[in-house]
Amino acid sequence: MHMQSAATLSIISQRLEGVALRMQNTLLRTARSGVINTGRDFSCCILSADARLVAVGNSLPVHVMAGPDLMARSMMDLHPELRRGDAFLHNSPYHGCSHAADLSVLVPVIDRSSTHRFTVLAKAHQADIGNSIPTTYHAVARDVYEEGALIFAATRIQSEYRDIDDIVRICELRIRVPEQWRGDYLASLGAARIGERELLSLGEEIGWETLDDIVEQWFDYSEQRMISAVRALPEGSAEAVCIHDPMPGTPGEGVPVRAKVTVRRAGARIEVDLRDNIDCIPCGLNLSEACARTAAMVGIFNSLGLRIPPNTGSFRCIDIHLRENCVVGVPIHPTSCSVATSNVSDRLIGTVQLAFAKLGGGLGMAEVGACQTAAQAVISGSDARYGDARFVNQLILGDTLGAAGPREDGWLGMITAGTAGMSFYDSVEVDELHYPIRIEERRLVPDTEGAGEFRGAPSSRVSFAPTHSPIRVLYQSDGGINAPQGARGGLAGAPSRNFKVESANGECVELGAWEDLELEPGERIVGISCGGGGYGSPQHRDVRRVKADVAEGYISPLRAMRVYGVVLKTDGEVDEEATLRLRVALASAS
Amino acid sequence: MRFAVDTGGTFTDLVVADAEGRLRFYKTPTTAKDRVEGVLTSFRLASDDLDLSRSELLGRGELLVHGTTTATNAIVTGETAKTAFLTTAGHPDVLVFREGGRMGAPMFDYSIPYPKPYVPRALTFEVPERIGADGEVVVPLDEEAVMAVIGRLRELEVQAVAVCFLWSIVNHAHERRVGELIHNALPGVQVTLSHALNPTLREYRRASSACIDASLKPLMGRYLRGLEVRLRDGGYRGRVLVVTSQGTVRDASELASMPIHTVKSGPAMSPVAGRHYARTDFDAHTAIVIDVGGTTSDVSLIRRGQISETRETWLGPPFLGHMTGFPSIDVRSVGAGGGSIASVDEAGLLRVGPESAGAHPGPACYGSGGTRPTLTDACLVLGIIDRKHFLGGRISLSADAARVAIEEHVGRKLEVDATAAASAILAVATETMALAIEDITVRQGMDPSTAVLVGGGGAAGLNAVSLARRIGCPSVLIPHTGAALSAAGALLSPIGEDFAEVHVTARRSFDVGGVNAVLERLRAACEDFMRRIGATAPLASIEYAVEARYANQVWEIKLPVAVERFDSEDDVERLHRDFHALHRETFAVDDERANIEFITWRARVSCPPESSSPQWVARTAARTGAPTRRNVHFPDAGAMEARILATDQILPGLRIPGPAIVEFPFTTIVINPGSSAERSGSGGLRIRVGPSVG
Repeated sequence: MHMQSAATLSIISQRLEGVALRMQNTLLRTARSGVINTGRDFSCCILSADARLVAVGNSLPVHVMAGPDLMARSMMDLHPELRRGDAFLHNSPYHGCSHAADLSVLVPVIDRSSTHRFTVLAKAHQADIGNSIPTTYHAVARDVYEEGALIFAATRIQSEYRDIDDIVRICELRIRVPEQWRGDYLASLGAARIGERELLSLGEEIGWETLDDIVEQWFDYSEQRMISAVRALPEGSAEAVCIHDPMPGTPGEGVPVRAKVTVRRAGARIEVDLRDNIDCIPCGLNLSEACARTAAMVGIFNSLGLRIPPNTGSFRCIDIHLRENCVVGVPIHPTSCSVATSNVSDRLIGTVQLAFAKLGGGLGMAEVGACQTAAQAVISGSDARYGDARFVNQLILGDTLGAAGPREDGWLGMITAGTAGMSFYDSVEVDELHYPIRIEERRLVPDTEGAGEFRGAPSSRVSFAPTHSPIRVLYQSDGGINAPQGARGGLAGAPSRNFKVESANGECVELGAWEDLELEPGERIVGISCGGGGYGSPQHRDVRRVKADVAEGYISPLRAMRVYGVVLKTDGEVDEEATLRLRVALASAS
Repeated sequence: MRFAVDTGGTFTDLVVADAEGRLRFYKTPTTAKDRVEGVLTSFRLASDDLDLSRSELLGRGELLVHGTTTATNAIVTGETAKTAFLTTAGHPDVLVFREGGRMGAPMFDYSIPYPKPYVPRALTFEVPERIGADGEVVVPLDEEAVMAVIGRLRELEVQAVAVCFLWSIVNHAHERRVGELIHNALPGVQVTLSHALNPTLREYRRASSACIDASLKPLMGRYLRGLEVRLRDGGYRGRVLVVTSQGTVRDASELASMPIHTVKSGPAMSPVAGRHYARTDFDAHTAIVIDVGGTTSDVSLIRRGQISETRETWLGPPFLGHMTGFPSIDVRSVGAGGGSIASVDEAGLLRVGPESAGAHPGPACYGSGGTRPTLTDACLVLGIIDRKHFLGGRISLSADAARVAIEEHVGRKLEVDATAAASAILAVATETMALAIEDITVRQGMDPSTAVLVGGGGAAGLNAVSLARRIGCPSVLIPHTGAALSAAGALLSPIGEDFAEVHVTARRSFDVGGVNAVLERLRAACEDFMRRIGATAPLASIEYAVEARYANQVWEIKLPVAVERFDSEDDVERLHRDFHALHRETFAVDDERANIEFITWRARVSCPPESSSPQWVARTAARTGAPTRRNVHFPDAGAMEARILATDQILPGLRIPGPAIVEFPFTTIVINPGSSAERSGSGGLRIRVGPSVG
């Protein structure tokens, strides 16, 4: 690469990332719903004029790796004539969006000479999208009609920088708590307009042709990084299967997700074949095409564990084979993909990570804990404290889930695998201020981690109760039956569980994976997340880490001994001799 | 006399201002084990220079302003007190869950460990009690259980305790009672109650504040009280003031009881100096201040005459460190300074920093064992730095060593010669700094073309002009205090305090009476403060602001309030209009239909220091004789002959066109071709940034 271009490339690529970050700051600071302004369930990215992914900032991977390219492409196909001042609403999973809840604003960045230069996209998970029941995750909807979401396939919402009020009114009439929706729409619009403003000034500053050249070079650089990474991998093929728990609409044994990963050093290719999977099913768990592609890519990037920029350039080394009408493929309208970003998608990420782990030591990761317990429920109702004002929003209170990798323990705040821990947790006080609930417990649970040389994150336990009036609680919790698997001798994490505690007698009733229930004051609901899977044999874990885990209460001394083969004395110090003997004995027994 | 002492991790800087307003600068190594000793040593150096005994020098002092990295350093090195955290039963993991957000770590790299809680779980204790959101007692405090916890604290020999219960901000009875019980049972143990220290919503922030504060109390109490006592033993009789994270100064004894406010005491001074010089030398109220050290550059903003602040302050990297829960001066530190190392990754991308060669071994050109190229090496190869004039001639540099390091680690990989590689290193370093600046300017909605770039620290002048051009800043100011910008800032710091009161009202039902009562109370508090320090009204100023948001947003923006009281509908209407405009300026949209919520009303009283415009007395001989010339390679214009001058060779009113190099006693300033410089009123350098002539 030419020297001058090395400096320029570094500079301009960082500026493009900076534009995406500024868009994100705008969305966070101005949104009205908790899931966006506190949970940070949103993303902003930049695409080239021909719909290739350029920069993602601190986006959630599940929102952006694949999908925004398809969305920008559909905007151009459906609207051949784009004008400065246009903005489009987009959430159609049949046109590239992840799922209907991820309502996006797309703005074509058009320069003074009316040339379309870039497209900016701001995608935010809504508190509500008009579903037939008050949740953005309608796991049991037989099709998009039962799901009930408003679907926009690149629908023009602004022309000449002014709202098209007809479209706004449709949303206000069909989406719960319309003022909240409108505020969130303005936040996304503001983010996209900030991105537009920044790109226009960048292009005018350095010249559009130069900028185009640099973007191409940035793709080439990213591709080169990926080629180096692939050439360092062992050649070969491996398969893995993860199973999503059964829910209404799924086969009785649940949804098996199978992936075959092939690495070819020649030509530097990584292939993921997802065609050997069941057809779409009559419920909301099907993946959109965007999520099928993205989940496979997140699995790949996590498995490599490198800092390679995720963009069209690095993606050139990746082939993902999908088929139509497949649960992890390309869904056909009116198949419902209401839950596409989390449940089955996270299982697919795990499948790819496990397959990589089979390719060689130091590769892949264990399975991230399956999501999403009652701690992540969508709650709704009316709040007697504020004149019975209606509310609907997703809570983000727990779900630690992090899987172990070959170099470090599981991240404690994953929330979902696809969001990569980038979302925020709610504050107990903020939730209690905004909703008539009391969060009675929020803690980690000892001895729930997937044990390993590197261990998974321990489970979280969250319980909450309505304080003034009944609330409706909906959630779709995976991992109660099929606990997240370990890799390369690492053990599975603990399974998830959900309970309802009755008011009268304090009796605990175990709840199902999918629930839609009304909680009365005096009752409470408890969600215990999965622990993350472990990586490598627990008996190879550094004794100092085991000792620290016992000291900090993540594992009990008994588990340290039985599972990790580490014997601690009463003062907490390691009994080196006894540990050595025990580990030798455990190794010969296995 | 007035003194400013800036204790950094490596050096302790002392600035002495005499009665005539002349400034003298002394630099001594920081003594890590006993930082007060380093302060006293610097006074010895000064007293020798001034032919006084140390007690004579100290005895003449009326005011000492101290900025210190002691608190930050204790946190980084783990030398804080053994601290316990008491929390509401059911919520032991507030410090573990934090607020989530894996933003500080690279997206797909899970080799970064999850951050450890500031107080370990093993020292976290659940207390049976619960207050509800409306302040009601849901579960009464179980005092027997508290006494059992106190028993454990005694056994564990805990030195400090932080107490943070849910909703203590609306009902602090339980926190107060637990504080009393600990105080009675363990009189030697320091306690911080979250509601008293930081009455803010969001339990993680409040708990984190309380834990950080408690953990610093034993150490900072000892340090600040020790400083005062030893200065007095040495003959000092004036006031001892310490710079806070917000860039104000407060009595050392006061901060000893809430040391969390000293965590950004070090970097908070350069914007204070920057603001002063922007005003006096440029009549500018909008400035970007960059203080370039060896490892990092600290960037801050002056907007409409005010130093820009952040609501969220992190110890350590954002999202991976710990949140203080307090606003502070918005200083963005970026890993690019004179000692930043340049490297090329396997795909050919050039990086500069964040790794630094530090003072040991230092840049390759120091010849002290460093072999990897730094920004300083690049500037030497380009001819920007004179190898004989570096740091006032105290260190002689090896251009050959610099060239070899650059060729080997950068040039060969990029297939270019050393000069071209050095040029690229300078360009990338400039860009890294530019991004840090843009991050903060855009977040604040500031247009750099309306600002002056103020450069300080040892290395700012190397690329200040290129940096200004890159970010679109039309002018640069290098103040006469150059390398000692921070310490000079301490002498220019206003003495002040912030007062705040939460009073929630909204556009649709604006509580004029209530708001006016709040503003009245805030003003009374400010005036009381002025009385205590003997300031008079014409000099002191009070600025009002309100934190406001659209209904259902959760992040407020700070809106200046133009009036002391709301007398008419017009006043109220103007507040609403100002909010819409500020929201639009910052976030590209406004929402005329939405209700606006006004939450926290603030007043800041600020009493300026007495001094006028101090004059610098350079102790190190500057370049003498006629201006010389040498060949300098400019990244934007290539090689050309440049004039080399000392500041005092630039006569007032004379404009020096680039290409030129101006040598200050402790720093070098590059005037790129196309730009020109003149002396500023107080002896610094004003540079008009022209277009590139390349």
